[in-house]
Amino acid sequence: MKVKKFNKDQIQKIALSTIGFIALIYCYFNFFLGPLNKSRASMTQAIAEVQEKTASSKTELKKTANLEMQAKQATVRYEALKHTTAEGAPIAWFPPKMRTFFNNQGIDKSAARLESSGDFKQPELSNWIRDTWVIELPQSDYDVLGKAIAELENTEPLLNIQKIVIHAVPEEPQYQQVSLAVQTVLLKK
Amino acid sequence: MALQLNLLHEEITEQRQRQRDPLKLGVIALIAFGVILFLYYGWNAYQTIQIKSRLNAANSEWQKVEPKVTAAQKRAAELHQIIDSTMVLNGLIDGRFYWAPFLARVSHCVAPNIQVTSLDGGIVEADQSVAVALEGIAAAREPRAAAEDLRQLLIEQLEKSYSAVKVNFKNLEDLDTVVNLSGVPTASARFVLSVTFNPKPGDDSKAEEPPKDTTKKK
Repeated sequence: MKVKKFNKDQIQKIALSTIGFIALIYCYFNFFLGPLNKSRASMTQAIAEVQEKTASSKTELKKTANLEMQAKQATVRYEALKHTTAEGAPIAWFPPKMRTFFNNQGIDKSAARLESSGDFKQPELSNWIRDTWVIELPQSDYDVLGKAIAELENTEPLLNIQKIVIHAVPEEPQYQQVSLAVQTVLLKK
Repeated sequence: MALQLNLLHEEITEQRQRQRDPLKLGVIALIAFGVILFLYYGWNAYQTIQIKSRLNAANSEWQKVEPKVTAAQKRAAELHQIIDSTMVLNGLIDGRFYWAPFLARVSHCVAPNIQVTSLDGGIVEADQSVAVALEGIAAAREPRAAAEDLRQLLIEQLEKSYSAVKVNFKNLEDLDTVVNLSGVPTASARFVLSVTFNPKPGDDSKAEEPPKDTTKKK
């Protein structure tokens, strides 16, 4: 077999063609196909993320709808408890409210004063405030007092009597002098 | 044999050399390869465009869902807050001690020969138990026994509703003054009773209590 020998000029041309071929491959993968594949991969990933977000969001919507149904009772209860707090500063409306209440119960003289006020430790009650009041009833019959306290405890769910002091009035043995320390849970406004 | 003369020998050789020029062949190969690569790129680009349209569709769906989700998340947080707050508030309401039934029980225990002059009660914050100091005067032939009867009656009555009931005398002293009871001069004694109990009725707490005599007289 006859082996053809390339001359110098031909060898230079072959080398030039090879360089051109390598350059073509390099440019193609680095400047065309590489970035395209990169953007395709990133878009595929973005699609997966968005679809996952959408799917989880739809689950979240369902969960919220279920929660809304479950929380119906709690919401009604919460609204009712919120309405136990009147508009305005408690110091303005609570003492008159107590005076009216005890008047209606047959105890003519009563006075309420704010002893202390503070927040709750529980984070769930961050919207609520705890006020301690002292209610003085200088002249009260024991039976009437008992009924009034029962009524107060039954009608005011967020009122808690912490301390009760009953002293007989020496001059009028049919009457007692009463002091109540009550704690109220009121909505911050 | 016929004589063949190739007078274009040099031209033909030159033409053959031109046709077999490595640079020309290389350029043709490069172009052919480039075309293949371009077609492959085009196919990839087409697929990428399709993916982009899918991404746009997914994004538009997300944009539709997003405001609803944000609102739902806000509402869910609000509902959780409401549920938690209601639970804690219900706990506070259920954990209250009702003084009216206690006052009723005390009044039922006080006999006509006993006068309670002072009642001082409060809720102990540490364990939510109730501590009450009852002060009064007992009048009878044996005033100390009358006071002891009151103590026993209090224990009996309070144990019906509460647990860990303890009623102790803090003070019990005979008085020099004689009390007029139904027109009869009667000896009297002043007593101070300390009453403590757990407002929650329960046998468990009762069972945990070590059996001991709580009566203490002065």
